[in-house]
Amino acid sequence: MLHKADYSAPFFVAAALTLFFIGGILTTVVPPLIDASWAKPFENSDPTKGVTGKLVQLNETEQKGRKIYIREGCWYCHTQQIRTILADTKRYGWRGVDAPISTPDEFVYDAPHLFGTKRTGPDLARVGGKYNEQWHKAHFRNPADLVPGSIMPPFPWIADNPEEFKALVAYMQTLGRAKNWRPDNDYEK
Amino acid sequence: MQKEELIQNVGETPVAPAAKRSDSIHDDTTAKIFIASSVSYFVIVGLVALIIAAKFSMPSFLGSVQYLTYGRMRPLHVNGMLFGWLLAADMGLMFYVVPRLCGVKLWSEKLGIATGILWNAIILGAVVSLVMGWNQGLEYAELPTLLDVGVVVAWIMFGANIFGTIATRKYNAMYVSLWYAMGTILWTAFVYLTGNFATLFTTGVNQANLNWMYVHNAVGLIFTPVGLAIAYYFIPRVSNNPLYSHKLSMIGFWSLAFVYVWTGAHHMLHGPISQWLQTITIVFSVMLLIPVWAAVYNFISTMRGQWHQLRENVSLKFLMSGVVFYLLTCFQGPMHSLRAVNAIVSKTDWIPGHAHMAVLGAFSFFAIAGTYHVVPLIFKTKLYSEALANWSFWLFLIGGLGFFVTLWLGGFWQGWQWNNPAIPFIDTVVALKPVWHVRLGSGFLMFGGIITFAYNILATILGPKGEEMEANVAVA
Ligand code: HEC
Repeated sequence: MLHKADYSAPFFVAAALTLFFIGGILTTVVPPLIDASWAKPFENSDPTKGVTGKLVQLNETEQKGRKIYIREGCWYCHTQQIRTILADTKRYGWRGVDAPISTPDEFVYDAPHLFGTKRTGPDLARVGGKYNEQWHKAHFRNPADLVPGSIMPPFPWIADNPEEFKALVAYMQTLGRAKNWRPDNDYEK
Repeated sequence: MQKEELIQNVGETPVAPAAKRSDSIHDDTTAKIFIASSVSYFVIVGLVALIIAAKFSMPSFLGSVQYLTYGRMRPLHVNGMLFGWLLAADMGLMFYVVPRLCGVKLWSEKLGIATGILWNAIILGAVVSLVMGWNQGLEYAELPTLLDVGVVVAWIMFGANIFGTIATRKYNAMYVSLWYAMGTILWTAFVYLTGNFATLFTTGVNQANLNWMYVHNAVGLIFTPVGLAIAYYFIPRVSNNPLYSHKLSMIGFWSLAFVYVWTGAHHMLHGPISQWLQTITIVFSVMLLIPVWAAVYNFISTMRGQWHQLRENVSLKFLMSGVVFYLLTCFQGPMHSLRAVNAIVSKTDWIPGHAHMAVLGAFSFFAIAGTYHVVPLIFKTKLYSEALANWSFWLFLIGGLGFFVTLWLGGFWQGWQWNNPAIPFIDTVVALKPVWHVRLGSGFLMFGGIITFAYNILATILGPKGEEMEANVAVA
């Protein structure tokens, strides 16, 4: 049947696009219609149904920090997703408490999404509250001073710019906070 | 018998060795513009690649300059190689191949020249935006929307020219390379719109799903089909040998058309995306083996009894090693999508090893082979130096293998360590340092390959030309 495409360009175009659109539509347009969690912000106040919490939107400062995170390409080295892999929940846990797995409803307000593809550095999905401002300052100035052997690049132009530094740290501290998972909710300021 | 079947099926399409050279009807200005600019970007972006590799070995290298930080150099490297070098080279080769397979002149040389100018403007705009950090935050779709619009316009111009040429063709039957060229143009249009425009209206997982549909198909439905168009044209052409099987090329093409687009979500395996979608994507990822093996079997069989030609023909060396890398990288892909394997290699340094084997080892090798073959023909001269071309092959091959293999080993080891939460993250960073040093060394070899390739092409373009030369070329 497809032999016709050897001779007829219009037939070829129709066949090539039809085959493409079957998979294209079924995998991009249809899934969000089926899975409501892609668009419904996380909210749970019932501890019997799992971890509680509520997803809130970023304020202006945090939003600004997120833009810096994008501009500097932090997301090429850091992912933001605790996967359904035991080691992920353990490694990115805190004081013996496992990090909750990331779910679609925690990212409803993210545009652009920052899930990432490469872990040159550790995952940051639950890094909020792990370090205080002072730590971040020293870390951005030269990561290897604080963590010997680190290959994270220095960001002196952020550490030395109080406004940008404040915004970026404010954003860091929001990561993972939608779910109340940390013991005593001890978020550093 | 195979030969008869071929001639019967592809009709008068001039892929058989007997085809006469009728280069005189072709102007090729557009092809020249695209090829010359793509080779120049290959050199410049190759330098950026070296800077990145050096930063893994020495993190503070050029570290205090905001504009040269890793997070800005990396998208410059990726976008520069994909759109500045590879896609431009592929388009240049299509501007050469399509008119010849149609037996007519390019539909509009003027439109082609305008496309070339616009494309260069886009690439220069991209360099400025990425260095300035005007990054949209989506992989492969980093460029500001204004430049995206430019890409769409350029693509429409390119498509109009190629389809216009095909519509006015003299040969009725369309050879495989023409299908792949047309498929590339059609699919790319929709894949690009999804990745650069539909994403602007979505958020979170929904947006990520569209983003990965684009990223995956930028390779699967842009670089793969146009790369195969090149391989299908140049392997028979360079070896003076008819294609093994028309039927097999049909199976390969139509299965690719159906299967590839389903697999984008495999970039989110184990991640925050619906499990059933992950399963669908795994099933289709494994099915990718069908189009790949069909094409590879066809290429290998075409070379049957002709392997000795590899010894003296640099273009064939690039083409056939490209085929082997294509086979390997497309074996890795489906394997990574199995959950158990994915849990080890995903997000590690294995992945750049895999990606470079596809984009450099397979598709850039095809484009380099095409460039070596075509440049002397369109400039009506001889290649400046066969010996230098041979050098470039070995530099690319050894550098490439060093890069791929160390990153696989290193990445696998890294993933293994990550899966033991008792090992602190920083220890897994320090453990990989030797791997990154070898990667830098391999980078120097590959850059040597780029330089020898570019120099050879430049010297060919600028070197002596004339009737005498033409006569020589016709024999070669
Ligand atoms: C070249 C890759 C790279 C880039 C780019 C990068 N990082 Fe890192 N990052 C690392 C590595 C490696 C580590 C682990 C060693 C360390 O802590 O310094 C790390 C660690 C971190 C940590 C500590 C995480 C933890 O759980 O201990 C934070 C926070 C962080 N990076 C934030 C950032 C931000 C913000 C940016 C962008 C301004 C950024 N990183 C850019 C590689 C990178």
